[in-house]
Amino acid sequence: MKNFQLLPAGLSAKLPIKLSAALVISGFFPLLSQAQTPTLSNLTVSAVLDGYYQSEDRLMTERAKGFGIGETELAFSASIDDMFFGKLTTVFESHNGESEVNVEEAFIQTMALPNGFTVRAGRFLSDVGYLNNQHLHTDSFTSRPSAYRAFLGGHYFDDGLRFSYIAPTDLYWTMGVEAFSGDSLRAADEHGEREFDSTGVYTAFTKMGGDISIESSWQLGVSYLRNENGQLTPDEHEEEHEGVHEEEHEDVHEDEHSHGASYTGKHTFITDFVYKWAPNGNYKYQHLTLSAEYFRVSDFIVPELDDMHAEAVDHDEGDNSKDYHQAWYVSGVYQFSPNWSAGLRYGKLDSQLQHEAHFEQQTLKETELSVAWHNSHFSTVRVEFSHQSDVGFENANNDNVITLQYVMAMGAHSAHQF
Amino acid sequence: MLLPYNMLWQWGLTVRINFKCLLGSALLTLSHGALAQMNIFACEPEYAALAKELAPDARIYSATTAMQDPHQVQARPSLIAKMRQADLVICAGAELEVGWLPMLQMKAANAQVRSTDNGLFFATEHVKTLDQMSNVDRSMGDVHSLGNPHVHFSPQRMLIIAQALTDKLMQLDEKQSTGYQQRLSHFTARWQLATSKWQAKARSLQGMKVIAYHSSFRYLFDFANIEQVADLEPKPGLPPTSSHLASLLKRASQGDIAAIVIASYQNQRGANWLAEKSNLPVVVLPLSVGGNKQSNDLFSLYDNTLDLLTQAYSAQQ
Repeated sequence: MKNFQLLPAGLSAKLPIKLSAALVISGFFPLLSQAQTPTLSNLTVSAVLDGYYQSEDRLMTERAKGFGIGETELAFSASIDDMFFGKLTTVFESHNGESEVNVEEAFIQTMALPNGFTVRAGRFLSDVGYLNNQHLHTDSFTSRPSAYRAFLGGHYFDDGLRFSYIAPTDLYWTMGVEAFSGDSLRAADEHGEREFDSTGVYTAFTKMGGDISIESSWQLGVSYLRNENGQLTPDEHEEEHEGVHEEEHEDVHEDEHSHGASYTGKHTFITDFVYKWAPNGNYKYQHLTLSAEYFRVSDFIVPELDDMHAEAVDHDEGDNSKDYHQAWYVSGVYQFSPNWSAGLRYGKLDSQLQHEAHFEQQTLKETELSVAWHNSHFSTVRVEFSHQSDVGFENANNDNVITLQYVMAMGAHSAHQF
Repeated sequence: MLLPYNMLWQWGLTVRINFKCLLGSALLTLSHGALAQMNIFACEPEYAALAKELAPDARIYSATTAMQDPHQVQARPSLIAKMRQADLVICAGAELEVGWLPMLQMKAANAQVRSTDNGLFFATEHVKTLDQMSNVDRSMGDVHSLGNPHVHFSPQRMLIIAQALTDKLMQLDEKQSTGYQQRLSHFTARWQLATSKWQAKARSLQGMKVIAYHSSFRYLFDFANIEQVADLEPKPGLPPTSSHLASLLKRASQGDIAAIVIASYQNQRGANWLAEKSNLPVVVLPLSVGGNKQSNDLFSLYDNTLDLLTQAYSAQQ
């Protein structure tokens, strides 16, 4: 790491902190040029810059109204030795003028287990669903579908362990199980009295895929997420009667900034499907991506509350809530030329909001149209128009939102997932 | 229903014998398959074709076709599944597959093909590439510091790669070493004979000037002493812009250019526009084996490519 020793120790100690920080940053540039060959054996350094302007606030998003920076990340990855691979991804975000530095990934992964087995440990993105294991900067829209924002806090990364296996078949078939601490998917606990399981989330997933012809490919996934801490408890709103509305809203609002899920439950089922097409299978000029996912979150209240709920329903016949949350989206993205692409997405969320012992149904429908200009492989400027209509959400009366965004990558060429 | 005792006994015996036969043959096929059939995953069709010359008994799969840009390939499920089963992965290297190969290696969980010590083979590691750069900057476009990776149009380099690949095959499959050596010497003889033929054709192309798309045929032009006076891409990897095409039209008006050359996977729009304005012919060359009907293996690929260029050049003269 001789790049960091640009000045004699004595001299650099006298320099103001700002300057030494600048030196550390400039120290990355020689590193970046050294890391030109991101084969799995060399250190790969990459940075992604993401900035935006958004005309209005959107429900459950991490992006606030006005100018801001999105997921600006700095990532290092390399083989540690012949057995282990490691990756560290730090994310810089700012919320309400406050900057945050978060570690999104810090994991090790086995490289040489036989028979298609892999173990990953540390902090990493869960492999449930289609979008979740992909980084936000590879998305074709400025924010994740409402299903992800509502149930996984945008994208779900956590501290845990994964075992996965890939079958030696011509049909792609992989499966895995994960265990996570599950902190960000805990149910609301405003009094801080609840005893949560320290290992709260278990998942199981499988994905299959293949080619239909030389021009098109598909992938189908089914995932299950069990959340031991996902159920709402009945004692949460004992003292409040009048203030419930505001309380609820504040909860949701706080969750946005802690990357937590807005709605949790014991069982989450996810099904996802992706289809990609390119003329002659040549992705350089034109290609189409169609994707769809369905989420269903059930058992979101503990049994005692369920009984109370049943009583409440008896008393009040106007309760039309369901005993599960669900959300889905379909999205299509077409690249017309190497420089231009456009995407259309429609998503719907049906969720149940707790009011003491009874629940009210909420619905959020979102339609998004995004147009992106790519000067090269590494730079994207995007404009997105989104229309949202909702029932049962507080403080969400803005129907149309315009977002401008840039996403640019520096350093090593990162390989993209399907 | 009652059966005579001896009939039952006989039936039982035959079944047992048959079962033994079946089990035996199943085991035989299994072990035979594991020994004889090597699974080869080639990143590009030219290396699948080379593998076919050197290891014809192997099960060979090409991740891309000559109609696809090898820089931009999706790390799609079928490729992960194929790499999972591979004993040997052959790629150009020199960062050509940097956008997708690491992802495939990561997802395929196949330790055998992760390192060039084992079943991973990069062709460009065995030859000297052209246009290596000591200082590469993204503002220069999609350039590689390790040089131009499209080495398959250099007959001399392909022969060296064939030798190195045979070494790799013998390392992985020692028992068939003599077979691989025989095939290499057979290939070498045919290749050298063909090379002298190609050299004769190339001599008639000397001094030809072309406008080409990307540096896909850098080694072919180097071999035939053809000068690529301009590139349809304003910078490597970036698509033609109208202002850049206008400058090319100005260049074409000097009258010394024989043709606009593009590869089978490349978009013809810019080339066609320029051809119409400048009255130059567009020559679509196969990028690799399978790039047109005539290019079925490495030999016919070279034959066809040189023929197409010869036609264009003699038309100019």
